[in-house]
Amino acid sequence: MLEVGGILSWIHEALSSACPEWLTLLIEYVLIGVGFLALYALIALILILLERKICAYYQCRLGPMRAGFWGLLQPLADMFKILMKEIIPLLKNDKFLFFTALFLVIMGSLCTFGALEFSKDLIGIDFNVGVFYVLAVSSLGVLGILLAGWSSNNKYTMIGAMRAGAQLVSYELSSGLSLLAIVILGGTMQLSGLIEAQSETWFLFQSPFTWIAMIIYLIAGHAETNRGPFDLPEAESELTAGYHIEYSGITFGLFYVGEYVNMFTIAGIGTMVFLGGWQPLHIPGADAFNEVMNMIPTWLWFFAKAFALVMLSLWVRWSFPRLRIDQLLHLEWKILMPISLLNMLLMALWVAYF
Amino acid sequence: MEKTLKMIQSVSSSCTKIEAADVMVSVDKKDLHKVCEALYKDGWDYLINLNAIDNVENIEIVYHISKSADMEKFLVLKTNTTDVENPIIETVSDIWKSANLYEREAYDFFGVRFLNHPDMRRLFLRPDWVGYPLRKNYDNTPNEGIPSKVHDMDACEDVPSITLDRHGEIVENHTKLFGRNEYVVNFGPQHPSTHGVLHLRVSLDGEMIKKIDPNFGYIHRGIEKMMESMTYPQMLYLTERFDYLCGSMNRHALCMCVEKAMGIEIPKRAEYIRTIFDELNRIASHLLGWACMCNDMGSITAFIYGMRDREKIMDIFQETAGGRLMVNYYVIGGVAQDIHPNFVNRVKEFIPYLRKMIKEYHTLFTGNPIARGRMINCGFLKKEDAVALGMSGPNGRASGWHCDVRKIAPYAAYSEVDFKEIIHDGGDTIDRYMIRLEEIEESLKIIEQLIDKIPEGDFRAKVPAIVKVPEGEYYQRVENARGDFGVYLKSTGDKSPYRIHFRSPSLVAVSGLDPICKDTKIADLIMIGGSLDYVIPCIDR
Amino acid sequence: MVKYIKDLFSGIYALLQGMVITNRNFWRPKVTEQYPEDRQTARQFERFRGELVFDINDNNEHKCIGCGLCARNCPNQSLEVITKSVTTEDGKTKKVLDKFLYDLGSCTFCSLCTQSCAQKAIKWTNNFEHAVYNRSALVKQLNPEGSKVVERKAAPVAPKQAPATEQNENQQ
Repeated sequence: MLEVGGILSWIHEALSSACPEWLTLLIEYVLIGVGFLALYALIALILILLERKICAYYQCRLGPMRAGFWGLLQPLADMFKILMKEIIPLLKNDKFLFFTALFLVIMGSLCTFGALEFSKDLIGIDFNVGVFYVLAVSSLGVLGILLAGWSSNNKYTMIGAMRAGAQLVSYELSSGLSLLAIVILGGTMQLSGLIEAQSETWFLFQSPFTWIAMIIYLIAGHAETNRGPFDLPEAESELTAGYHIEYSGITFGLFYVGEYVNMFTIAGIGTMVFLGGWQPLHIPGADAFNEVMNMIPTWLWFFAKAFALVMLSLWVRWSFPRLRIDQLLHLEWKILMPISLLNMLLMALWVAYF
Repeated sequence: MEKTLKMIQSVSSSCTKIEAADVMVSVDKKDLHKVCEALYKDGWDYLINLNAIDNVENIEIVYHISKSADMEKFLVLKTNTTDVENPIIETVSDIWKSANLYEREAYDFFGVRFLNHPDMRRLFLRPDWVGYPLRKNYDNTPNEGIPSKVHDMDACEDVPSITLDRHGEIVENHTKLFGRNEYVVNFGPQHPSTHGVLHLRVSLDGEMIKKIDPNFGYIHRGIEKMMESMTYPQMLYLTERFDYLCGSMNRHALCMCVEKAMGIEIPKRAEYIRTIFDELNRIASHLLGWACMCNDMGSITAFIYGMRDREKIMDIFQETAGGRLMVNYYVIGGVAQDIHPNFVNRVKEFIPYLRKMIKEYHTLFTGNPIARGRMINCGFLKKEDAVALGMSGPNGRASGWHCDVRKIAPYAAYSEVDFKEIIHDGGDTIDRYMIRLEEIEESLKIIEQLIDKIPEGDFRAKVPAIVKVPEGEYYQRVENARGDFGVYLKSTGDKSPYRIHFRSPSLVAVSGLDPICKDTKIADLIMIGGSLDYVIPCIDR
Repeated sequence: MVKYIKDLFSGIYALLQGMVITNRNFWRPKVTEQYPEDRQTARQFERFRGELVFDINDNNEHKCIGCGLCARNCPNQSLEVITKSVTTEDGKTKKVLDKFLYDLGSCTFCSLCTQSCAQKAIKWTNNFEHAVYNRSALVKQLNPEGSKVVERKAAPVAPKQAPATEQNENQQ
């Protein structure tokens, strides 16, 4: 009853009884697009508030308290402020690349966002190589960041972009490898299929190697979102703001939003492949318990798990100092990569013999 | 002392001991370099301070020299030139590296050019500034001498120097600071991690640093010039504006200098209070130094923790003295008012609290493998370099140099307390980092010993209504949170000083950036800058 | 290889320790002061130097005799003491304070004025909310209009009365 899928199929039936098929499809596509953008913006706003509050609490502060009760309206105030700010035109930069970069970053982030299954049967993009799709579109962002750094014609952005390039490309490897380990376990690349495979128990409890894969995925994913301790491309104390120094007003705001939603997307994909996505917590054998768990709507399960992972990421971000570029690459190539390769092998053996 | 005097007199016959003072030697400018070389060979390897004085008929340069192995030794060397129009004196920057910036400062303020000095740019003022402001005949009417045109950065790139050619004629050379194809990045004047308005021009090769050129003067206020027209009580407040993080210690230096010169005996109670305040201030400063360094390394949470605990010290200050950052508590002859009745209790509550917090700091940051990986084996400063650069204070002690003025020349109540001078031998960033946290604990011990023993009595000695320092030259050192802070005072018996000069420990810390950071990465530069813990207003004065 | 694994786990342990510290702080009481809201309860220290004021009694009388010592002691010339000559009832001309101008904008709060004042006519208050829209509003006249100097004779009388009232209270 609380499922969103039901409402959607009701809309579909109502539309198809009133319109020809092509119009139904058109209206539905537009609705889905608008819905995604709205959800995207909403999640960004929630995350911005969450980050500011959580970070403040870790630091013995209160965080925003003025706008609305307990500062709840702060992200809205931020949004309107940033919308009203001037987009400062630069004199000697490549205007075309400068704005293309922005759209690439947002596109990459939005396309990955579309692959999330928010609740049962509520998935935007779902096809048989879903995992590859996610890996492919999430790396669009690197291109955007590199272009942003290059086209700004600024030395700081240039250094930031180069760091981002090195970092994102290398960390994509281990996050991809740890996802592949799960593909071996689940036996499919389709994201919805992977979730179906977890209806009994989550992947996390199906194999000990999922734990290793998950830890590596979370570290690599955290690095891919450019957040501390991996925030070298932005490194506020070194490069002031890294690759987006020259962006102002809403152009900066979009980078900001993209970064925050990426954090959620990474957490969402982690939820889907390790924590069963929208699947409720099931203990094999305990039927009564499973029934109670099934009462909770699936979208709530998904968001609860995803936000739990986001919280973990925030906790890490506000606890550790920043890595240096050589330490960063050392961590990836000498620690995470070998372990995730080994893990994939062990996972394959596990699947073959158990 | 006699031995040293004989030794330098054998080098140059022009050396004469000045009768008024027992450690002051005057030398002819022709023999200066020879004498300095001989002194250096004799172990006088620490140039504490160098400053110039405009005596109208001549320009005098004063060198304060000490031995790094035996810091209690202290020698003042003087030379002068009667050519006031175009004063030229031989450089000693090839003997003592720290003279490099001091001589540039003397050139900036007095127009004294130093022969063979590699870099005779102005230190604080703009390259196109007209005149030399600390000369007595300088016209300081507003807007005179300040060029109105916006000067272009190329002027800073031009490095003039003067040398002698084969015929003994003076030739001016000009070189460029950076090559045409160097990738030079400006760090500052507005940058989150330069701890103020410091401008570093950094030549990069990818992420690696090839050369750093610090550019000062963005917060130069001409305090030394201002003080020449102020009475002694008036100028006290300006001392806290140098190194605003340990303002009371700077103020202590000037107060002591004037008190010693006038022969004022300050009450025991005031001495104890001053010592406790100094140590509290040192803790506050080190906490902020620690916090800022963590912030530079990307751990904003640690920064906030440091600030949170420092706030408690600020409250203690505010309750007793009425000021937080600018404590404004010491006056000539003692302290401005008696301690607040709550003071002792508050300090006693604070000591165990901070001890607990320092344990947390160690777990949160010192033990963190990321932080350790970045700090260990990075940013080496050898002891010899530290001495040559004059880098005293915690930075010097991290390199194994015994240089704590509180031990060498104890002042206030330091001779009555038992404390350890923290010395590390490594000389890398983690030593500089650890030394601050350990010194906080040592300061807590000092406060613990003193807080119950504050003697009863007056908190302020009787001081004449108009403070006049008898004629003569005075030098007073204190150990502030960044090192050896010194006040040089020349008085003609008037109610304001003839010349006053401050030795800034932050200036030498910044001069160490280039040798330390060579072939490290950008991220290391920021971290090392944090570990050196300089404060810009102290440099620029 | 053993060292590699050992380092890995000790590193993870140390990282977790750090996270425990931040978590501990998460639940601690917060130190933020919500300034305009807590205006009534905010920490105030009586010695805090906020703003220079005249010590004025209930009869609108101050103690300043216009000697100008404070203005001479001020390092920034933020004080200006303007005096005028008046003829008293018994025909003597007397120098009295006309205006005492205090430029808060250039004051460094060094306390030299209050220390040098022999009459204890000026003192500090805790008021720290100095923001105004115009710099000229920072120049304040400290002696209120119509105020006058406390009569010299009145001063010794006041302390005598005070213990008397105390005795009365004790008797009651």
